[in-house]
Amino acid sequence: MLCEKCKIREANIRYTEVVGGVRTEHNLCSHCAREMDFGHYAAVFDTDYPIGRLLSDLFGLDAEQGESEEAGLEQVVCPTCHTAYSDFVKDSRFGCPDCYRVFDLLMSENIKKIQGSDTHKGKRPRFGHDEGREASGKSEKEKLAASIGLLDSKLKEALAEEEYEQAAAYRDQIRELKERLKENE
Amino acid sequence: MSKWYQDTEAGHDVFTASRVRLVRNLEHYPFPVRLSEADGRELVEKLETGLKDIGAADGREFERIPVGSMDQEAREALKERRVINGAAVSKEGPESLLLSADERVSITLDGEDHIRLQCICGGAGLNELWSEADRLDDYINERFDYAFHEKYGYLTAYPTNVGTGLRAAVTLHLPMLSVGKQFGKLVNEMSRFGVAVRGLYGEGSENYGALYELSNQKTLGMTEEEILSLVQQMAERLAVSERKIKSLTLRNHRLDMEDEVCKSYGVLKYARRLSVKEAMTYLSQVRMGVTEGLLKLSEPVNLYGLMMEIQPANMKLLASEDEKSDIRQARAAYIRKRLPELA
Ligand SMILES: [Zn+2]
Ligand SMILES: [Zn+2]
Repeated sequence: MLCEKCKIREANIRYTEVVGGVRTEHNLCSHCAREMDFGHYAAVFDTDYPIGRLLSDLFGLDAEQGESEEAGLEQVVCPTCHTAYSDFVKDSRFGCPDCYRVFDLLMSENIKKIQGSDTHKGKRPRFGHDEGREASGKSEKEKLAASIGLLDSKLKEALAEEEYEQAAAYRDQIRELKERLKENE
Repeated sequence: MSKWYQDTEAGHDVFTASRVRLVRNLEHYPFPVRLSEADGRELVEKLETGLKDIGAADGREFERIPVGSMDQEAREALKERRVINGAAVSKEGPESLLLSADERVSITLDGEDHIRLQCICGGAGLNELWSEADRLDDYINERFDYAFHEKYGYLTAYPTNVGTGLRAAVTLHLPMLSVGKQFGKLVNEMSRFGVAVRGLYGEGSENYGALYELSNQKTLGMTEEEILSLVQQMAERLAVSERKIKSLTLRNHRLDMEDEVCKSYGVLKYARRLSVKEAMTYLSQVRMGVTEGLLKLSEPVNLYGLMMEIQPANMKLLASEDEKSDIRQARAAYIRKRLPELA
């Protein structure tokens, strides 16, 4: 089936939208799905239901992209719960609190897309939360290294696509992480 | 103790129910999907033990319900009464529920997240519900350390809940607005303001009973107060439109409206068999008739509560053994019994 929006590419994303009790099925290509206004999509972010694979494409990689890079990203695994980045892409679901740190740089842009922000405002735990406490100090280094690896491939990707502004942002993030890595040693 | 949906509905019209939900997870534990059966059980026990005195602290009784070992139908009934969500109906493995006697507070343990705390009430009342949830949240947090991230806030299994973990929702009864041609468009446009509207009961593309739930889409980057006031404001906007159409119709087509409402009452009062769809359609009409003063009942009845009770799974629970073979007959009999005479 062709994508209902561009009618050029093959539709590989199907999602069901329920608006006012009316269920509509949409078939889009990954490209158009990503371009879609999230406000419109949002009807499916139904209050309590798991959104399952709906977000896959948004968190994932372009289907048209080379397999080698994809493989590189898929290898990133949360050291605490062993959720691979590819699992996260598939289910749009984290495995444990540490996943947020491990996948942070990979998905922060997308979180921003869904949420319109990437920074929490509002209530904070009133008890027991020890700021900066690490579940496992040992793996902090691993996490940083993993994030740098990811960013590096993102950087290469951006350069290949001639998205220099984006590439510069990745470069800065890598620099920052490397410094943190040094502090950690 | 009566349930929240059995209390009087007097004074409620468009605002049918309000709900506040918080998602929380403990530090140092993977989210439920990554927990082994044994670890899940251990976590549930730990939470249950830690929260065993919540009733005393909260001033009402709580019952512990082992959702994980209940059959689908019993879980479905809890969902119809809005105690648990769809994910909790189908989840495998240990899963537990702490439910207050009035069913106003429910705490799902080891569902999609470690803790899903919900407060619900009839009519309007988001702010009261939030203070209640906030207080209970602190009570839990005093006993368990939460997974919290400086940038992302409260960490949740799904990125759509992260940040405040707060979903504020208002159930609106929109019998007039929802039949308008523009309704679908209106609903779509709500998303531009950061809220979503969805039909609450129905099958396939059909909505039964004209009940819609409006809730915030975003949970990150807004404070709890901002979220509550956004949802409240948008719900009020829809309520104002609904009331406007109602009063216009009342002014210009009063007899038509009265006719429809009274026919609906008649069917409910005399039918011998009712499907969910029929019952919901006529109950919705009767509810509108009562709130608009077109129908005067001899005693108060919570019609929204009745709408929940006649849903398939709850109806089976309420039906006697003999009645179970024909649930539509049981439904008609139950409604005849519950619906008061005209005053
Ligand atoms: Zn397309
Ligand atoms: Zn993890």
